[in-house]
Amino acid sequence: MRPRHVGQRAPRVNDHGPLHGTGRYVDDIEHPDMLHAAIVRSPVAHGLLTSFDTRPLKEGISVFGLERLRAHIHAELPVLWRVGDQEQLSTPVVDEHLRYVGQPIGVAVAGSRYLAEDATEAVDLAIDELRPVVDIDQAMAPDAPMLYPGSGTNVIATFEVGDTAEHDDAVFAAADQVLRTTLRIGRVHGLAIEGRGIVAVPSPRGKLTIYTSTQTPHGVRDSICEVLGLRQSNVRVIAPDVGGAFGLKDHVYEDELMVVIAALELGRPVKWVEDRFESLLTTTHARDEIHEVAVAFDDDGTLKGLRVDGRRNVGARLAVFGGGPLFTAFGVVPGPYRWESVRGVGQLVATTTMSTGAYRGFGQTQAALIRERAVDLVARELGIDPVKLREMNMISADELPYQMRTLIQFDNGDYPAALRRASELITGVPDPPDDGRARGIGYCSYVQMGGIGPSDANEAIGIQIGGFESATVRVEPDGSVRVETGVSPHGQGLETTIPQLVADELGIDPESIELIHGDTDTAPYSAYGTAASRSIAVGGGATVVAAQRLAERIRRIAAEMLEANPADIELGGGRATVAGTHVDVAIADVARRAWQGFQLPEGSNPGLVESFCYEPASATFSYATHACRVAVDTDTGVVAVEEYVVVHDCGTIVNPTIVEGQIHGGVAQGLGAALMEEVFYDDQGQPLSSTLLDYHVPVSASMPEIRIEHLEIPSPFTPGGMKGMGEGGTNGSYAAIVNAVCAALPEVDWTDLTTPLSPTRIWRALHRQA
Amino acid sequence: MKEHRIRLKVNGDNFEVTVESRMLLSDLIRHQLGLTGTHVGCEQGACGACTVIIDSRPQRSCLVLAVQADGSTVETVEGVADDGIEHVVQAALHEQHGLQCGFCTPGIVMSLVAACRSRTDAETAKGQVLDGHLCRCTGYVNIRAAIDAAWEATGGERDSNDPSSGR
Repeated sequence: MRPRHVGQRAPRVNDHGPLHGTGRYVDDIEHPDMLHAAIVRSPVAHGLLTSFDTRPLKEGISVFGLERLRAHIHAELPVLWRVGDQEQLSTPVVDEHLRYVGQPIGVAVAGSRYLAEDATEAVDLAIDELRPVVDIDQAMAPDAPMLYPGSGTNVIATFEVGDTAEHDDAVFAAADQVLRTTLRIGRVHGLAIEGRGIVAVPSPRGKLTIYTSTQTPHGVRDSICEVLGLRQSNVRVIAPDVGGAFGLKDHVYEDELMVVIAALELGRPVKWVEDRFESLLTTTHARDEIHEVAVAFDDDGTLKGLRVDGRRNVGARLAVFGGGPLFTAFGVVPGPYRWESVRGVGQLVATTTMSTGAYRGFGQTQAALIRERAVDLVARELGIDPVKLREMNMISADELPYQMRTLIQFDNGDYPAALRRASELITGVPDPPDDGRARGIGYCSYVQMGGIGPSDANEAIGIQIGGFESATVRVEPDGSVRVETGVSPHGQGLETTIPQLVADELGIDPESIELIHGDTDTAPYSAYGTAASRSIAVGGGATVVAAQRLAERIRRIAAEMLEANPADIELGGGRATVAGTHVDVAIADVARRAWQGFQLPEGSNPGLVESFCYEPASATFSYATHACRVAVDTDTGVVAVEEYVVVHDCGTIVNPTIVEGQIHGGVAQGLGAALMEEVFYDDQGQPLSSTLLDYHVPVSASMPEIRIEHLEIPSPFTPGGMKGMGEGGTNGSYAAIVNAVCAALPEVDWTDLTTPLSPTRIWRALHRQA
Repeated sequence: MKEHRIRLKVNGDNFEVTVESRMLLSDLIRHQLGLTGTHVGCEQGACGACTVIIDSRPQRSCLVLAVQADGSTVETVEGVADDGIEHVVQAALHEQHGLQCGFCTPGIVMSLVAACRSRTDAETAKGQVLDGHLCRCTGYVNIRAAIDAAWEATGGERDSNDPSSGR
């Protein structure tokens, strides 16, 4: 039996950089003749820019206004997800119509960032101000100013998911009872600790090299080339070390394109790194939705129908994945329960605020809240224990595979097992001493769609990019291994886990395997990069198949060398061995032979490399139940999350330590959205959360210890069995914590609920009751 | 802009540099001295990523002007390991999976190294000290585990890497 590396708590291979200062993030990149950029931004939420004048500048300082930038622009930025009747299929890079505070309208370039920022102050703007529309209700009012006057409405798209209105009406009419609730999901910021940044390096021979803090190097390359009319083969995009992304760095931004233009025109490398103020204003926000939810059920607790009218504030223009998050929310809103009808109607509403885009969970976090709040309301109405109500409506293991009303088919698992175990764990925690705080337990059961694909399914729901991933596995002549992947890790530990997968297939040590990624000149094409809980499921799946094919070639060459049958060759310990004997050869010797091309088996090409493009048969579905206990100080409204348990299944666990780390971080982000994180604008559209003293994210004191138990039921689809789980922690914690607060304060009417449940909101809710 | 000639010692090396009045210590360290291990996360004094040790005290280098560091002894993440032997805090963060993207990590290393040297107790290190840092990836759970492991490993003793120990 050879050692199995999958499932081991292998320590990460790439910790040295951050721990010792040898990492290389985008702002660490220097070039001898590099210039530095600062962005000129709109100071108003809504207006028309009528002039952009620059006072005389010192030598060596340049300012690019919109006209100078426009000369380089061939096309608008594409929107890569189209829903319903959406007509906005691309968005302008430069635009005199100013639609949010922070909209980039020029770039200053100088010898240092300090001087570049000085130069932005030499710009005089003339703006005809227009009336801002800050929220959904204002934007949909009959007299609202139009962000896109030609369209006659601020509703960018309307779409439907799931059952027809007729079917839905019939199910609701037949049900014993119906409850309604309004959920207002606050606007949040994903807040990677490293902001966005880019270094554009032109070369006299025409090749343009871009270093950028991104999760999708190919995606950035494709968009730069489309917008600037450049040849893709002439542009190299490199993601160096990336300090967190969480969905925010899933495309190229307008200001980054302006920096590229400046570099091309000046013929010099130009660096720009956003500061935190810019980040909070102009790196995509997320959520900002209002959901009118109705749930139909029978008196015995049987869930019948779930209806959601959802509106999403998409901000000034559609982000790259447009209405995708709201569409996805409706797609997965049925969750692990049987329903007779599920129907979502969505509207995307433009306002004079920053765009809302992808963020960890991509709508699935909101979906969990919609469904799990509805379930808790039903349980309370009927006086049924919320765990019992969940269990009686939950899809059982033997009902899987199961097709939801929204046409998504779940793969496998045991949803009730996760629920039961989480309930045991949280109710097994001893009651704390009574300190006057109100306590409540909350649950969230969810099924998370990861491993998005296949490509045909993407196309069918309006996604403009394919759902495959590619990998190349190469044994070098000395027996060391390079794995080239299109996924682009930035904290997920794929530098450790993908080699664990390959090591098992090739029978070698993971330490001899190097992951090559994040560079469009060396990594295979990937439209997503690392996003959407896809990397280990789809990227890992591609790697497993490539490694399996390479193992087969090693066995054939080794069999020729050992005068044996390939079927009898076993790989392990770095050697190819004839089963049941001590007759063997080092895989390094096989590799040397393969790269010499000497005496290879009939029909075998020289070299030892295999590439595979994996088109998944289906998306994958990890699932969990999160349960927590909170304590609410009713004098201050402050919530403490005291106990937290997660019971989950993400299929094959390649590295439990890394999976647990992903859950910890996800739980923290869901906790932040549930209790403290909120982007604010005033009624003029001026951002009020422009520092980290105003935008609160969890600190260590916010975070409980987290008890995690793993179920491990391999995916029936993925080679290797992985299901993908990067976003699940966020999806579970947001709803579980909100439900726990609601349970702790049963005297409050929670049928109109706004997140985050900040101390202010809780205090007001308590005093409104009184 | 007025310029100043300042002297400071960074990771044991003496530097004499010319800086503008407005230059931040974080920018001097990163872009003039080339020690890019110190990260800048907010320039608002909130995230703690830029923390360095100045005259034995951890401080946010984005809130210090370079001229204020004239005559100081500064230690950055590059200088923590002793002849290639990593500090117990660095080892524990690695072993306990206390980092993911790693952007906040250098600041956390510096605060914890300072706490370890000053014999701050583990509860305070996990509480007040770690609460001075924002990490978006780990949920802090494994950073706290690393603090427990590091403090366990040192037995609360002053560690050998302390420049004030007269080594």
